[in-house]
Amino acid sequence: MARRLIALALLLLAAAGCGNAPRADEPARLVFRHSRMPGERDPLPALLREFERRHPGITVTRESLPWTADVQHQFYVINLEARASGFDVLMLDVIWVPEFARAGWLLDLSDRWPGTARAEHFRSTVHAATEDGRVWAVPWVTNVGLLYYRRDLLARHGLAPPRTEAELAAHASLIRDRERDPKLAGFVWQGKQYEGLVVNVLESLWAAGTDLLGADGALFPDPARAAAALRWRRDLVRSGASPSLVTAADEEISRREFGSGRAVFLRNWPYAIDLFESPESPLRGRVGIAPLPGGGALGGAHLGINRGTRHPDAAWRLVEFLTQPDAQRAIAGAVGLHPTRPSLHAGGVLREIFDTARPRPVTPWYQTISATLQPEFSAAILGVKSPERALEDARHRLDYFTWGPRHGPQTPRRSDRPRRSRGRPRRR
Amino acid sequence: MIRTRGLGLVLLAPALAALAVVTAYPAFSVIALSLERRVPVFQIETFVGLANYRFLLGDPAFWSAVRVTALFTVVSVLLEVVTGVALALAVNGQRRWRAAAVGLLLLPWCVPGVVAARAFEWLLHPTSGLVNALLGGRAINWLGEPGLALGSVVVADAWRTMPFVALIALARLAAIPVSVHEAAAVDGAGRIAAFRTITLPLLVPVLLVAALFRTLDALRVFDLPFVLTGGGPASTTETLTLYAYRSLFQTLQLGFGAAVATVVFALVIATAWLYSVVLEREERRR
Amino acid sequence: MTGRQRAIEAGAGFAGARRAWGGWGPFRGPHHDQSRVRDVVVLAALAFYASPIAWQLVTSLRPDADLMESGVGITRLTGAHYVNVATASPLPRALGNSAGIAVVTTAVAILLGVAGAYALARLRVPGRRAIMLGVVMGTAFPAIATVAPLYLIVRALGLRDTWAAVVLAHTSFALPLALWLLAGFIRELPREMEEAALVDGASPTAALRYVILPAIAPGAAAAAVITFLASWNEFLFAYTFTATEASRTVPVALALFPGVFEVPWGDLAAAAVLASVPPIAIVFGLQRHLVRGLLGGAVKE
Repeated sequence: MARRLIALALLLLAAAGCGNAPRADEPARLVFRHSRMPGERDPLPALLREFERRHPGITVTRESLPWTADVQHQFYVINLEARASGFDVLMLDVIWVPEFARAGWLLDLSDRWPGTARAEHFRSTVHAATEDGRVWAVPWVTNVGLLYYRRDLLARHGLAPPRTEAELAAHASLIRDRERDPKLAGFVWQGKQYEGLVVNVLESLWAAGTDLLGADGALFPDPARAAAALRWRRDLVRSGASPSLVTAADEEISRREFGSGRAVFLRNWPYAIDLFESPESPLRGRVGIAPLPGGGALGGAHLGINRGTRHPDAAWRLVEFLTQPDAQRAIAGAVGLHPTRPSLHAGGVLREIFDTARPRPVTPWYQTISATLQPEFSAAILGVKSPERALEDARHRLDYFTWGPRHGPQTPRRSDRPRRSRGRPRRR
Repeated sequence: MIRTRGLGLVLLAPALAALAVVTAYPAFSVIALSLERRVPVFQIETFVGLANYRFLLGDPAFWSAVRVTALFTVVSVLLEVVTGVALALAVNGQRRWRAAAVGLLLLPWCVPGVVAARAFEWLLHPTSGLVNALLGGRAINWLGEPGLALGSVVVADAWRTMPFVALIALARLAAIPVSVHEAAAVDGAGRIAAFRTITLPLLVPVLLVAALFRTLDALRVFDLPFVLTGGGPASTTETLTLYAYRSLFQTLQLGFGAAVATVVFALVIATAWLYSVVLEREERRR
Repeated sequence: MTGRQRAIEAGAGFAGARRAWGGWGPFRGPHHDQSRVRDVVVLAALAFYASPIAWQLVTSLRPDADLMESGVGITRLTGAHYVNVATASPLPRALGNSAGIAVVTTAVAILLGVAGAYALARLRVPGRRAIMLGVVMGTAFPAIATVAPLYLIVRALGLRDTWAAVVLAHTSFALPLALWLLAGFIRELPREMEEAALVDGASPTAALRYVILPAIAPGAAAAAVITFLASWNEFLFAYTFTATEASRTVPVALALFPGVFEVPWGDLAAAAVLASVPPIAIVFGLQRHLVRGLLGGAVKE
């Protein structure tokens, strides 16, 4: 009886376990993981059909990721760390490539992807995909933070687009005072506790003449300026220059607020340009774009290949196909995510914005840093903590998480940091 | 019975083996893990002794999570016990449609926690939620305001689990013989007095058991706050369990996350022990 | 864990619970007319209490345009969200995964549980008290404490994103629960039953098979249902151990419901309603059996 029970239980477990085993003689079936494309005109089905037509024997299944970058990251980390092979080609947020490469999750693409081909792309995008001198992903689409403004309102009050953050705040309150419209807010941006908040604050750090990481890798190299930048954001909320909804706003919430005519300025990505100029938009023809005071943050996505893939060659062919100029153009035309090749960009203000854009820190620890900063920044802009306190708490945590408990909670000597932060070298 | 000794082991062995793998080993292993700095992403695996716990002692996020957990647990359990007993008394007095009443009570309790979370997320939606619409169209950001978010999560959790307390209390109430109440009525005891002197003392032991299980569940609740707020805004709804999960899997700081998880573990065991002492005392008094 | 909560019903008072759930009479007092009003009020309050679920149902039937704009006024109804969920969402696969995982978990827990519980309740096992204590403690373990080690086990065995990984994790709460419940049922059986069989020359295995098993069948069925529901509703393990639609369960699919910029509330409500149907059907369909099995077990003969 007992033996039969055990046998049955083992059988059940075994039955539950199998079903995923690969067969080598199968034609390549690729799984492509990506987040959904915004808008109604998803260009991917047509692109993938074309790819399958050109490569008989390869079929591609797509699976969508959850929507927000932080949840996507968690999904990848849990799965790639466990050497999951459930997907072959991955869409990667630009900030993750060094971390994933360091972890050994991505296929090294340096030999497949020659230097001449790399030179076609914006240098910052290739830089973001480089770790330890090797290239781990191919730039696919790019994105940049920019300032939207109400051209009609600025013109009515004889103002030019602001070039400093102080000017931005001053313009916003001036226009609100003169318009006497209680429904009109000044500046809307993304202040919810997520990666977008880190990006917004980072842009303020740049405007204040400092950065998240110093040249030596130290966090907040200029704490006084960093605190001032954070305080500027807090003051926007406190003074009412930014509506209280920004503390819970992501891209879409802030885009809708501005898009319905209830704000003078908006910080967002370029995808909103087309939406504001669509026939149904109440703001059609009344929106201008300008660079952010400190330069916009670069966003966008790369395509990488899971090191555990069973079809590296087929996966590379898909990456190559999706990142070639025609595909990038098709995506830009359909959903407003921009090509990573300067040659495919028209001139004009947007090009200027791309040229002044800056990448977020390229470090394998980026996600750890961002995850630590998000609650602290959120607490600061909500007024739960002072900016100084928030920065200090963040630094305290990061010292512990990134440079190791050997040092304890105290700040380690600076010269120790870059070396220790690298962890053990990865076998290849 | 002697000849059955071997059989006992044979029958028990599969269950014990499975338990060893899925509960005993993980329980010890999490404590061992908490003494390490373990970051699989960077192949870091170092024994650090009590460093993770030392860091926690001076970690504002940890103490904030402790406060949130304490507040969440105490308020939601109190809310559940008070409303649960009230509803049980009401349903116990039902003369008609009692099956329907019990059925309605069962509903919130048997749907998955994630469903409950999504239902409340939608009810509390700032611009399109039913709650704000009923309040006259004000755009109250229930889950995004630091002062409101924890309250919203507590209400959602109490909504989901109160029926459990109510059903237990109801079962106990129904077991009180009608003659006890009749005797009280003959004595001329008022309703409130009767409740206080007769019903409540009879309820106390089962309520303690219910409160024990609810406290244990409140300490380790994950699905509802994770889906509803994810711990935000500004970590004002981040319980210890959420903090542990975020540490473990947001950036795979397994050693540090294990230290936070071990604290939850210790709290659960301490709570169980505390209640068992109280229950025993209660038993002896009767 | 809701399974434990359901189980504790067993300890809440035998006769009373049975009356509350099944056997109450139509009335117990003289004041009929007053009580009618009161009963209606109580029922209305309970209906209000269940309204968040009703609102999900309503939401799942309203067109998207109405959901974001027209607030609470219900003007039109549509089945479009159910069509979306059935044809273009991960939910159908997730329903299959959840059902499969819950069934396998239940089978493992009940099979190992019956054998183990019989040994613990009736046979001589060294260290029985310690084992029993371990089992009871096992039912109280917080998932957050065991998830990291289980994650490392699953990773070492290469079981990521399989049913086996989730079954393994769910066994960590299902098996202690089943052992505890079943040992309780078996202990309540009169010893004479099996002793008579043993005296008649039957082996202990035969006694288990022909005497104990039939007697605890109702209790075992109740334990199976509880295990099934706990596995169906579980989120933390399933969220951590699944990666793709190959193994993702219903709660995970709901938590990660794909959208672009904004959650598709109508589709999500439809998915939530579908996810709730099995537990609601089980609890309501088996309401009386569940409780009788739990409370009575074999004692009722």
